[in-house]
Amino acid sequence: MLKAFENGADGVMVMGCLEGNCHFVNGNFRARARLARVSRILETIGIGAERIRMFNLSAGEGARFAAFVSEFAAEVQQLGPSPINVARQEAAKIPTGEIRV
Amino acid sequence: MNPNTTSRPGVHPTGAVLVVGGGISGMQSALDLANSGFKVHLVERSPAIGGKMAQLDKTFPTNDCSMCIVSPKLVEVGRHRNIELLTHSEVKSLDGQAGDFTATITSHARYVDTVRCNGCGLCEITCPVTCTSWFAEQPAPGEKKKKMKSVEKRLITGPGQPKPQSLSGWTFTVDEAACQKCGSCFKACLHEAVVWEKGDIAHIRPEKCTACGACFVACPEKFSAVSVSDAPEMEKGLGAAIVARSNAIKGEIAGQDRRDCIRCGLCAMMCEKVMHIGALKMVEEGIEAGIDICQVCGACVSVCPVNFLEINRLTNKTPRPLLNAFNEGLNTRKPINIFFPQAVPRVPVIDEASCVHLNTGACGICRSICGLKAIDYSHTESELQIEIGSVIFSPGFEVFDAKKRGEFGYGHYKNVVTSIEFERLLSASGPTSGKVIRPGDGGHPKKIAWIQCVGSRDHSCDRDYCSSVCCMYATKEAFIAREHDASIEPTIFYIDMRSFGKNFDAYVSRAREKNVRYVRAMVSRVFEDPRTGNLELRYVSEGAKHTEIFDMVVLSVGIQIPERTKELARRIGIATDSFGFAVTGAFTPLAASRPGVFVSGAFNGPKDIPETVIEASAAAQAASAGLANSRGSLITEEVLPEERPPSPDEELRIGVFVCHCGANIASVVEVDKVAEYAKGLPGVVYADHPLYTCSQDSQEAIRKIIEQNKLNRVVIAACSPSTHEPLFMSTLRQAGINKYFFDMANIRDQCSWVHPAEPGPATEKSKRLMRMAVSNASQTRPLTELEFAVDSSLLVIGGGVAGMTAAVEASRQGFGVYLVEQQAGLGGQAQSLRWTSDGMDIGGYVQDLKQQVMNTETIKVFLNSMVIDQKGFIGSFESEIMTPSGGTRKIKHGAILVATGAEESRPDLYGLDTLDTVVTQTDFEMMLSSPGATDAVATVAMLQCAGSRDPGHLDYCSRVCCNQAVKNAIRFKELHPDGRVNILYRDMRCYGTGELHYRKARLAGINFIRFDPEENPPNIRADEQGIEIRVVDPSIGRPVTIIPEILVLSTGIKSRDTEELASMLRIPRNSAGFFIEAHAKLRPVDLPSEGLYMAGTAHAPKDISETIAQAQAAVARATTVLSKKSLKLSGVVSTVDPAHCAVCLTCVRACPYGVPFINDQHTAEINPALCQGCGICVAECPAKAITLGRYLDSNITAKLTAYTDHGPAPAEGGQQ
Repeated sequence: MLKAFENGADGVMVMGCLEGNCHFVNGNFRARARLARVSRILETIGIGAERIRMFNLSAGEGARFAAFVSEFAAEVQQLGPSPINVARQEAAKIPTGEIRV
Repeated sequence: MNPNTTSRPGVHPTGAVLVVGGGISGMQSALDLANSGFKVHLVERSPAIGGKMAQLDKTFPTNDCSMCIVSPKLVEVGRHRNIELLTHSEVKSLDGQAGDFTATITSHARYVDTVRCNGCGLCEITCPVTCTSWFAEQPAPGEKKKKMKSVEKRLITGPGQPKPQSLSGWTFTVDEAACQKCGSCFKACLHEAVVWEKGDIAHIRPEKCTACGACFVACPEKFSAVSVSDAPEMEKGLGAAIVARSNAIKGEIAGQDRRDCIRCGLCAMMCEKVMHIGALKMVEEGIEAGIDICQVCGACVSVCPVNFLEINRLTNKTPRPLLNAFNEGLNTRKPINIFFPQAVPRVPVIDEASCVHLNTGACGICRSICGLKAIDYSHTESELQIEIGSVIFSPGFEVFDAKKRGEFGYGHYKNVVTSIEFERLLSASGPTSGKVIRPGDGGHPKKIAWIQCVGSRDHSCDRDYCSSVCCMYATKEAFIAREHDASIEPTIFYIDMRSFGKNFDAYVSRAREKNVRYVRAMVSRVFEDPRTGNLELRYVSEGAKHTEIFDMVVLSVGIQIPERTKELARRIGIATDSFGFAVTGAFTPLAASRPGVFVSGAFNGPKDIPETVIEASAAAQAASAGLANSRGSLITEEVLPEERPPSPDEELRIGVFVCHCGANIASVVEVDKVAEYAKGLPGVVYADHPLYTCSQDSQEAIRKIIEQNKLNRVVIAACSPSTHEPLFMSTLRQAGINKYFFDMANIRDQCSWVHPAEPGPATEKSKRLMRMAVSNASQTRPLTELEFAVDSSLLVIGGGVAGMTAAVEASRQGFGVYLVEQQAGLGGQAQSLRWTSDGMDIGGYVQDLKQQVMNTETIKVFLNSMVIDQKGFIGSFESEIMTPSGGTRKIKHGAILVATGAEESRPDLYGLDTLDTVVTQTDFEMMLSSPGATDAVATVAMLQCAGSRDPGHLDYCSRVCCNQAVKNAIRFKELHPDGRVNILYRDMRCYGTGELHYRKARLAGINFIRFDPEENPPNIRADEQGIEIRVVDPSIGRPVTIIPEILVLSTGIKSRDTEELASMLRIPRNSAGFFIEAHAKLRPVDLPSEGLYMAGTAHAPKDISETIAQAQAAVARATTVLSKKSLKLSGVVSTVDPAHCAVCLTCVRACPYGVPFINDQHTAEINPALCQGCGICVAECPAKAITLGRYLDSNITAKLTAYTDHGPAPAEGGQQ
């Protein structure tokens, strides 16, 4: 998850099955716990916990998936580029503005 | 003759089985058989397998998504090399005898070649027909078709005048050589674009032409002098071009609400030139429709790019829209259609009744646009004969026709729906995308009522039985409806709440907590308010009349056997009861009356999904036991070339294939550009873009390309890995390279399907996904799939009916059995039972079974013995048994079957075990069987749920007690016709055909008094002086006093103490001590650890027939392992690097399967045979000492790096 930010993502979505429906028993609960740890790190290093979020849905919920993506992309759009990208763009002097999710 | 026997001595039976019906039952039977060495022919009447389960939204009591759990089964059946799938087919006849049958199968004409078709669905999207037409009478052969003339005409106008525009216009020109100077084109043109004078050749002035095609339509067929150019798709045909132009215009004007005719002329061209009707003509004010000759196919409306045409206005008939049967007619479909999106086979069928081409010879658009040439209108019904050794008959059920209960208004009141229709409304892939709406007005209902027992427990409409599933599905639907919309107020009107299965009562309690309201009442009438569409329900509850208004009513329709199934059963020669259910014996629950034919699923009595899955496996076992000698004789094994080992310094040679998927991907994504881009990526030495990458010839081509170009990695950008990855990986393997040197980018689902309106960005996204896949492929490592030998013996723990049945059946399958029983004798709990509900002698049966076990040489029985240690894994276990001498014995076996049983609960209630007058149901059953023991008894009182459904004792329902009480009560009345029996109950849970006995008991004068432990508990005094029970009988609303000579307690079933065994075998138990299955719905006899199975009451309370069926099912599941010489492990497993392991035990704690352990080298070790490949330990290991093949850090990093690294060709356009 952190690597994704390092590689230039402005936001990261983690998608899992509905809680209680994990193919691997409790994998998505573990993922949620791990995500919470990553959020704290993101908060500490100034990227912001709001740039990462976990979503739970079943494989049959295409419309819900799209709604989640649109919702999160809009939020990240509001937040603007991640501080990592801002710093890099300033260093490279390339025009800012595009958002990556 | 033992009806389980299918083979005759001296004859080698046929090693193949016919399975009739492709629902969950037939699929499970087919998979179990095909995975244990038998060829399977699976015949399904509808165009795709999946049955009723595929139509359900969620499943109780776990709320699992039904389609999500069933679709892997669909795919597995569809891909299995030893299952021959015959969909759209029916069994005509069955000749021969057990072991040697010949079946005649009729395959209906599909008109689509299942081998060529790849399921892209383009035909269905393109087909413009939406209704069943009134086809004109066709001319006799040789006669010329007469042009129809309209007499009755109607002018169709919009809110404003037509606004001619030449969007995506074609060019029309007059062919001077062909022009016969008739002037029809001149007269038709509304824009003065045609220049013509009598006797002259016509000309079209391009500057005036608006491309409406009126001239083209008007030019007589025999001249065909107006030609069309600049029309995309015209090379395929006019119909294809019209649809393409319609789509192009729709794209240009997307988002605008246009109601005026734009005079594109597509409707008229479609009607005259494609459908050969000619009912439409463009006129100054709009369109003139010949409403008498319109065939009402709907094609003109489909191609109209604006909302101008309405089908009702174009005809003098009432249009007949084609209803989608899979969605219970709640929406529409096309004559050519794929049954449902996840259908297997994903091949459409053409409906003969509505296809224009098949009826008139016109249209033919689907054939013209299919790039695979899969459409073949010349198909006819065909017959084939197959040789099989036995037959499994699992044709499934249909729902009761709710119109027969006219008082509920189904079919008249639009807001009264059936439960299966409601299932489709809830489904995310259903007609409303999962929005709960009223069919009447599309509004959101708040108050929804469920009416139970519609076509169940109803003598008046010949449905005397209980359908067993409705109480639970209604609860589920109410539960899920509230999840969709929390403002919904559900109410369930019921007679008895029959939540008798494992964890069902807890589910109902949860529903109550979630504000699902339960009202015990029979609804007598439903009235509709014609203004609002709301429904008034009238019912009597607690002695008072009530009326209540609801927004929507759901009828919980029961299960019934379709007439066609009864007819088929007669044809095959198997006996059915008066309702059409199969007649089977209590001790041979799967054997139909004709030897060699076995039944399973709802046809064998109403039942839910897990019970069906159990029966399906059991039927597979029963059907194959007699064919065991012929195992492996008719199946084919895959032959693979030697795998070429990669040399360590080998350079990367990646091959990329970007799939067009016909037009499915290529119509949006520029696949040639994606392939070109791939050529510039590091390591890529080959890139191409095949039309259909998954087709049979493409697989062969890819194999050759791999060999010729010495490719060592392959990336395919196409569709979903979940359906196609196994196919491509097997192609790699066939080309001699490791199948894990592979990755896939899903540019269909993730690019062309979701971004159809943005081809530019969709192409860029495809490049990115492909770049990530290439980057990942360059980091792949070869993985080996370890192969090891399987020991063909079975260990059975427990010597009751389940264990003994399993032992006998496993030995019939040809396996050695070790049967371990803790007690001094075999028999278990069944020894305290006497008769089944049908009066079959249980004692005699148990004796016979014991004899069979003792007389079978291949069964080794250990009495007074226990399993004290167990090691190993699926296919290769080693256990230690402690024998009565105190010594131990080590045995090796390939699978374990746990059948440790359960016992009758004996709670300390009402003086049980201190007073002679208070006994349990089994005590009473014994008394009834000993002559004279009940002669002094004039009045019996039975108390149901005595210590069951009671948090103080057993907090669950024991399932069998109601039927046992009814059985014993009837027996008592038979012995003492003047005796009185009073049964005090909470809910009579006489599920399935148990209801017939319940009715019989009521007719015999047995008195049933309902109580409620909270509001109306019975006051029971039992002591040395006698018994007195005081309770209010709700049916008369008065207190009654009963003074019986004997009080019989239905105490329920409690689990045995299996704590030690469970911890040794690492099998989980629920709070009541019953073992937990691997999956509540689809793996009800598998334990969570591979190679372990269970049967009987160790799983949950059940009766003797259900126990026998589950024992047979467990053997079927074990046979899929034991029948194999060797097993292959998945290559995707975790491995520990001992050098980095700090022995911190994190992995031991984290693994949800308890696999990692600390070995004698003092490092963690993961047995690849037990690892499930989830990767949790990999993520948790603080020392990063664990890796999971395919998902190495380098794989994930490669993907993430490639995500932003633009590679050699800088991407243009925006990114997401």
